[in-house]
Amino acid sequence: MIRILLTAALALTVSAPASAQTTLMLMKGIDAPHYDGHRTTWGPTSDIVNMFQDTLVALDWDGKTPIPYLAKSWDISEDGKIYTFKLRDDVSFCSGKKFTAEDVIYSFRRLKDPAVKAPYAWRAGHIKELRAPDPYTVQYELEEPFSELLLQLTMFTNAIHNKDSVEALGKDYGIKGIDGTGPWCFDSWTPRTEIVLKRHDAYKWGPSLYKNKGPVKFEKLVVKIVPEDSSRVAAMLSGQFDITHQFPAQFISQAKAAPMLAVTPAKPNFQLLYFGFKITRPMVEDRRVREAMSIAINRAEIAKAILLGNAEPALTIVDKDALDHAPATQGVVKEDVERAKALLDEAGWKPGSDGIREKDGVKLQPRVYYTANGNSARVAEAIQGYLRKIGVDWRLYPWDSTIASVKMAEQDYEIWSVTVPYLSAGDLMNIYFDSANIPTPNRMNWKDAETDTWLKEGRSALTESDRTKAYALVQEKVMREHLWIPVLNINMDQVANKRINSARPHMLYQNTFYKGLDVTR
Amino acid sequence: MSVEALEHGLVGRANESGWLARGGLLRRLARDRVAALAASALTAIVLAAVFAPWIAPYDPYFTDLTKSMQAPSGEHWFGTDNTGRDILSRILFGTRNTLVLGLVGVIVGGAIGGALGIFAAYYRRLGGWIMRLVDIMLAFPAILIGLAMAAIFGAGLSAVIIALVIATVPDVARVARGAAVGVMGQEFMEAGRAVGVSDSALIWRYLTLNCISTIFVFLTLRFGQIILIGSVLGFLGMGAQPPTAELGMMAAQGRDFLFMAPHIATIPSCAIFVIVLCANLLGDAFRDVLDPRLQT
Repeated sequence: MIRILLTAALALTVSAPASAQTTLMLMKGIDAPHYDGHRTTWGPTSDIVNMFQDTLVALDWDGKTPIPYLAKSWDISEDGKIYTFKLRDDVSFCSGKKFTAEDVIYSFRRLKDPAVKAPYAWRAGHIKELRAPDPYTVQYELEEPFSELLLQLTMFTNAIHNKDSVEALGKDYGIKGIDGTGPWCFDSWTPRTEIVLKRHDAYKWGPSLYKNKGPVKFEKLVVKIVPEDSSRVAAMLSGQFDITHQFPAQFISQAKAAPMLAVTPAKPNFQLLYFGFKITRPMVEDRRVREAMSIAINRAEIAKAILLGNAEPALTIVDKDALDHAPATQGVVKEDVERAKALLDEAGWKPGSDGIREKDGVKLQPRVYYTANGNSARVAEAIQGYLRKIGVDWRLYPWDSTIASVKMAEQDYEIWSVTVPYLSAGDLMNIYFDSANIPTPNRMNWKDAETDTWLKEGRSALTESDRTKAYALVQEKVMREHLWIPVLNINMDQVANKRINSARPHMLYQNTFYKGLDVTR
Repeated sequence: MSVEALEHGLVGRANESGWLARGGLLRRLARDRVAALAASALTAIVLAAVFAPWIAPYDPYFTDLTKSMQAPSGEHWFGTDNTGRDILSRILFGTRNTLVLGLVGVIVGGAIGGALGIFAAYYRRLGGWIMRLVDIMLAFPAILIGLAMAAIFGAGLSAVIIALVIATVPDVARVARGAAVGVMGQEFMEAGRAVGVSDSALIWRYLTLNCISTIFVFLTLRFGQIILIGSVLGFLGMGAQPPTAELGMMAAQGRDFLFMAPHIATIPSCAIFVIVLCANLLGDAFRDVLDPRLQT
């Protein structure tokens, strides 16, 4: 099979048309419902947004250091509440409009506008006031200090939008068009098929992590959606595409063996596949039931058999190598099938005639939602197998990626699963465990005053030790409550055709391509 | 002569060329070696599916990740899938679901479609409306209906069954109407009306019984196709959800491991192929036996 594909690859490479030289072909497995970064938490939106829109600061290769981008420098007041950004004066949108402080102010006001319902608005901190003393200076005043503001400003959700484009497109914004200052310009989107971007010829403000400051080396960037794992493998092996960061984990060894492909892991990389409990649902409101499901599985077996070794077992929510990881959380999840059964017995869930546990006439059959394509599907099935052995019958509901976010928003489930990339403990905890983020992304509907207080302390900490301490308390509490089943830390590998050079993968929110400025053929 | 006696004679004449007059059906089928082989194979498959809980070597839902993707062996004749489940056991249970899908699709769709077709032939005014509705239904491919059903009701066997029924109805309705229009022109229908036979008796005892062989032949031919559509919907993730075994879904699960463990996808695919082939061969044989135009 491999030989046949390699032969086909050679044939296709030899017969590549001339237009292929000016078009970069990317491939993804999942599309997004839209490409307005303000209105989503959706990872598949973020990587495309980062191609056509820019942020005030960029994230360096180490995954920790914010570096100048649209803001060439910044000052922070002593109380940590006022950030003064000096903006570049040579930036323009794809539409030709000049970028100024007004665009920054408009973007963050829109982000905070209740009508927009931006789920990641908190990432911009509690903004008190935004001022523009001159066209290239922004004073960003916060209600309270936000220790991770600069880190958060690297995120796609804090990208700069063009007011004219938002108003002109209305409800079609992010669907039929969207303007940005990024190295690529939004050209068209055919849902579930492809996104076409074209070169932003005026672009010359690339961040320091790239050698090439712009413009990009290709006239066009075509991002094709290929949901089927095997099809993505065949397409890469046959040379139809240049780069993908969604090469199925089970085929990575084949990619490494293929002479025309280069596999580059993104490092560092924190990417957690977890199953979360909506604790307001009676079936999973009892901590013992949640813990039973978490400890009845064998993560090492799942990593080896389902992800074929391309993941690490995750027994904590925050990886031990991530910033502000709490070491005390490492012994909370102890895999033990017998204890899992005892916990369910204790919680009043007794085995029924068919082996499935029941309580008050209700069977322990939680509804589990996740995106149909992706690792969650295979992992969910494996966990379903483990849990049947303790009398828990997971009802699996895989949804197509284009409606998964809508279905999850309906919250008619006990359990859901996603894979979440994160930068630090604070990043992950603030996203998912702050009661202000109910119903999404706090899909657990976890409302706890202590958690909120510690998160606030962590966010507003002015010293590293205070921040670490506050976030450790949050981790310990949510781990003890078993609000999530942390399952695997998924490796992030970029697979590129060797005709492509300098395609170093970035780790920011699974956006391995990021700006793609140094990529050449 | 009473109406009952006259009607009795008419019904007897009406059915002479129909379903009830076709004695020796099995004998004639047995003479066709290919049909006999297909019938035997399909019988064996049905028996295996019916008795799956007793003959399956393992629990089809039991996972063992330490034994994932094992090649066929003495322990697991058809190997194991990616979660270590025994593929033979899942094939037996999956065949059960696949056959149920096909049978329900054909029987329910056939009943509704047949009734619509016969009503359309008998009640001419109503028939125009019925057939326009059928034409509209024909415009939608079965797969598209399946996708729509899955979107409305959520993926699952019930969504597939509804899709298969909807996909079967218009074709059967057209065939049934065609057959019924032919019967309507027969003298015994006129005679039945003349002696005061009720509409319901005319429809059931005269019209339906004379059309049933045509509908049956069509449905036997359609059975394989329905199974194939059901499997395609399962393959697309619209049908049974894990851990339920269904052949189309099993083939889909295996496609991700084609390079490493090709048996996971190919064995369920071969099972679908064999079932559909047998169903089609048997359908052809039924047509040959029951269609008077093909008699020599």
